[in-house]
Amino acid sequence: MTHRVTMDPATTPVIVACCRTAIGRAHPERGLFRHVRGDELAAAVIAAAVERSGVDPSTVEDVVFGATQQRGELGANVARTAALMAGLPLAAAGTTVNRLCGSSLQSLAQACHAIAAGAENVQVVGGVEHMHHLPMDSGIDVHPRALARTSRGMLSMGLTAEHLAALHGIERHRQEEFALESHRRAALADDAGLFDDEIVRVIGHDAAGAVVEVVSDQSIRRDTSLEAMAALEPAFLPRLGSITAATSAPVSDGAAALVVMSQAEADRQGLRPLARVIGTAAVGVPPALMGTGPVAATRKLLHRVAARGITLADVGLVELNEAFAAQAIHCIDALRLDATRVNVRGGSLAIGHPLGASGARIATTLLHAMHDGGVDLGLATMCIGLGQGIAVLFESV
Amino acid sequence: MPASATDFATLAVERHDDGIAVLSFAVPDHGLNVITPAVVADLAAALDELDRGPAPAALFVRSAREGSFFAGADVARLGGLRNLPAGEISRLCDAGRALFGRLSAATWPSVAVIDGVCLGGGLELALACDLRVATTDPRTALGFPEVKLGLLPGWGGTVRLPRLIGPGPAVEMIASGESVAAAAAERMGLVDACVPTAAALETARRLVEMHRATGFIGARRRRMAAALDVDPAERDFLAATSTAVILGRTGGHYPAPPAILRSILAGTAVDAAAAGRVESDAFESLARTDVAANLLRVFQIGERNRRDSGVESGAPAAVRAAPAVVGAGIMGGGIAASHLRAGFPVTLVDIDANALAGSVSDILEEAAWDRVTKRSDSARALGLAGRLRTSTALTTLAGADLVVESVTERPDVKQAVLADIERMVSADAIICTNTSTNPIARLAESLTRPERFCGMHFFNPVRRMTLVEIVRGPATDDATVAAAVAHAKRLGKCPIVVRDAPGFFVNRVLMPYLHEATELVREGVDPARIDRVARAFGMPMGPIELYDMIGLDTAFYAGLVLSAAYGDRIEASPLIPALVKSGRLGRKTGSGFYRYSGAGQRARIVGVDDEARAALARYALPPRATSDRTIADRLLLPMLLEALRALDEGIVRDGRDVDLAVIHALGFPAFRGGLLAWADTLGAVEVVRRLEPLADLGPRMLPPPRLVALAREEGRFSEPVGGAMPP
Repeated sequence: MTHRVTMDPATTPVIVACCRTAIGRAHPERGLFRHVRGDELAAAVIAAAVERSGVDPSTVEDVVFGATQQRGELGANVARTAALMAGLPLAAAGTTVNRLCGSSLQSLAQACHAIAAGAENVQVVGGVEHMHHLPMDSGIDVHPRALARTSRGMLSMGLTAEHLAALHGIERHRQEEFALESHRRAALADDAGLFDDEIVRVIGHDAAGAVVEVVSDQSIRRDTSLEAMAALEPAFLPRLGSITAATSAPVSDGAAALVVMSQAEADRQGLRPLARVIGTAAVGVPPALMGTGPVAATRKLLHRVAARGITLADVGLVELNEAFAAQAIHCIDALRLDATRVNVRGGSLAIGHPLGASGARIATTLLHAMHDGGVDLGLATMCIGLGQGIAVLFESV
Repeated sequence: MPASATDFATLAVERHDDGIAVLSFAVPDHGLNVITPAVVADLAAALDELDRGPAPAALFVRSAREGSFFAGADVARLGGLRNLPAGEISRLCDAGRALFGRLSAATWPSVAVIDGVCLGGGLELALACDLRVATTDPRTALGFPEVKLGLLPGWGGTVRLPRLIGPGPAVEMIASGESVAAAAAERMGLVDACVPTAAALETARRLVEMHRATGFIGARRRRMAAALDVDPAERDFLAATSTAVILGRTGGHYPAPPAILRSILAGTAVDAAAAGRVESDAFESLARTDVAANLLRVFQIGERNRRDSGVESGAPAAVRAAPAVVGAGIMGGGIAASHLRAGFPVTLVDIDANALAGSVSDILEEAAWDRVTKRSDSARALGLAGRLRTSTALTTLAGADLVVESVTERPDVKQAVLADIERMVSADAIICTNTSTNPIARLAESLTRPERFCGMHFFNPVRRMTLVEIVRGPATDDATVAAAVAHAKRLGKCPIVVRDAPGFFVNRVLMPYLHEATELVREGVDPARIDRVARAFGMPMGPIELYDMIGLDTAFYAGLVLSAAYGDRIEASPLIPALVKSGRLGRKTGSGFYRYSGAGQRARIVGVDDEARAALARYALPPRATSDRTIADRLLLPMLLEALRALDEGIVRDGRDVDLAVIHALGFPAFRGGLLAWADTLGAVEVVRRLEPLADLGPRMLPPPRLVALAREEGRFSEPVGGAMPP
């Protein structure tokens, strides 16, 4: 049982709404959002989050949004442009943040920090990515001197995951079983309508090009099998590698948003919070071991909340972003997590990984699963390219 | 103006009034500055003299020769290293490193001013200086090409570079051997400034001034002397990923890249003095490998080819400035594009207006291809468009001084086109035919000036294949051959002069290799095994894969010419027409010997399917006992025997051309030094011994006279290249 401490409602951040788009494949011919811009997805979730929360829009002070590719349609501070598109009052400010894959979990964390500091209070946070329109590997020019302490290989997330798999003997078959389970859980959740409450319906295009209302994640595969996965070629290390397309998160398009404010402000507006944020942590790890970021971040976060008597055993549900099966398996092993409590509705291997949106996506899915299951504590954590980890701990209200 | 100056044979030292000493290299008798024993001695003497006089405010190290700082070591001297007693090579490395180390230990700061090429030992000299200024001159390039000769930098390169730019970038640079331009060098931290040549010395002065009181130079020297603080996880990752990359690139056949990786990993974990010992030991080991000797030989054969005029008479090679290509097919288009890339304006003629129009965009795209960005530079393509003149009328050839005819391989068509070309051009113009199957003598029959006519056999794809066979017909004169050779070199190709005979040289030695593979298949050997053995030997692909790549229809027609000429040795294999008849033309149709997933560039081998097995079963031969070694012998020895026959018949001028040709045109592994150098590793006696159990296969396994003689005299297949004296 956690040790309850009295929290000051004026500085305690709470979440009053969260939602996301379905996640589309970043595919030029079949992607559901291939004709939809990333900023449109962002505007859709911002508008929906505000509406679903019941917050008085005139009280929104800031929009904090994550995106890893801040150029083109996501250039010029997409938090601001999407807020304008979403019809938020002109007085609501906007800032776009980048912690690569951790961007939207970072946007949530720093909004909570502002609330705790008595700065901006009512905020819409989240993230967006359109990996088809803005591919992750184009328009990037990493300074060669940034490689002086590491090496070029760390720019390939797949190679870092291969390295992790080799270091810890995580065999290909185990990775494939993990990926298969991710698809199985996601398909079950989708079929049972467990995502219905969190998904904001947006208009996309089907394979034939006709307009369609997008209500389901496009990458979830109900037809995959261990046999089909076993036939795939290694994706990053020809011949020698253990990681394939099936055990790597698919490139994706999507957006997710949450509304946060202080407990006091929620009370004032008569809003019922879903959860409060009771701790956050960001941490650096060796770039070569970027996949271990959740281990370091979670340990750091637990240390921060140790005074409240919270341990990992108290955490009922974990959303651990699945960049690669090997990486997720390593984190589960290293933290000794109970796999039955991790990614209960499937993970990014099945649902997709729209980089800058994924943090808000897993937070959204986690909060819904906590709510549905009556779970008290939930953890969202992610690995981040170039060697970082981030973690956020939620407590049901 | 210098206050004083001292001259040595290879360098001069000027002392200026402001206290700056400038050391300028100009190595006589070499086109570019290279590091010779005289350079080493002069540098030591110059440093002695600086030590004796009043300490300079700073020393600038530069080249007095435009366009070259130092092009590296004198390659001619490397060959002699192997003859030195054990430990002596390592000692030479220690001595060179100690000499350069005097710069890093001096009481005054030093700046390398790098204008032009700065390679190998030159870059090690620059790295021994405290600071480096490189110029924006397009010739300025910094790199360590040692790996291309099977070596590593032995005078501190593997010690200093990782300490300066980090172990990962250092592994990439040294293990790849690729050079970088000044701007890239500055971004990497390899040089401290990148400025126009005119501003270089002033920049060196300002850098010294800026850093005089900051402690920067002292801190850098401490960093260069100590072990490098590298995160252990990053070190492990670098080792794992680099090993995988190196294995992928070298197939495990080249010892230098892994040695470079090991030296850098071990050398950065200890201080610079210990790292120097690691480097010296690694250099000595590598310098004694056969691979290093072979790579050096291949390099020298290439250098020799650059100097070879192609004729013995010394006939002058008049420069051809107005080239033209007739025939806008794949080969003609590729030849036109290579002219544009080399800076020539080119006229392209084809009677088919559609073919002509269709080829233009491909030609421009290829000519404007940027190897760095991996895409065509559209601005460049636009500029080149004005230099490509196309026409359907042969009359546009009137001003051409060299015409490459590249129309269809039908002899009657070629003869007619060649006669038309001859009528259009002046008597001085030379006419070349790009053909792989037509005798030059026969094509020359339609010409009135056959002495101005030769073959110019390009390989497909022209942009990538560097070898060109210049085929001398019976009437071709030396001036024509020399002009064609010189022209091919201006296109960036390696031309070899061959005599007119079926298959010329390259296809003649390729065919026995391909043919033997089909015989092995008939004997029941798995095609994948044959290919695996060939790859393990170092061939870029196996013979069966190669058949599918060439296309079995194409291989069939090429084979007809050769089997007609050399039928006792190279019979037309019945397997090829059998596959062609069932529509299995190779990779392009999705199936040949193998079945492919997908077609074209992205096709991947799935395996040998039942249909192919059935088609091949009809021609089965009794199986023979086969080890992998026997398979390799059967593939490669017939190739060697045919090359020896070609030498005996005077088809090629020189054994060095044999090795050059097989490496450049057939992808024969450079680490084996070429076909003849490889044969030397076996020895003529052993070659004859290995042929004995194969004798019942027929005349193709019969030792030709040259082999018999070599075995009797225990002579060598390959001639030595270049001088070989210890440094």
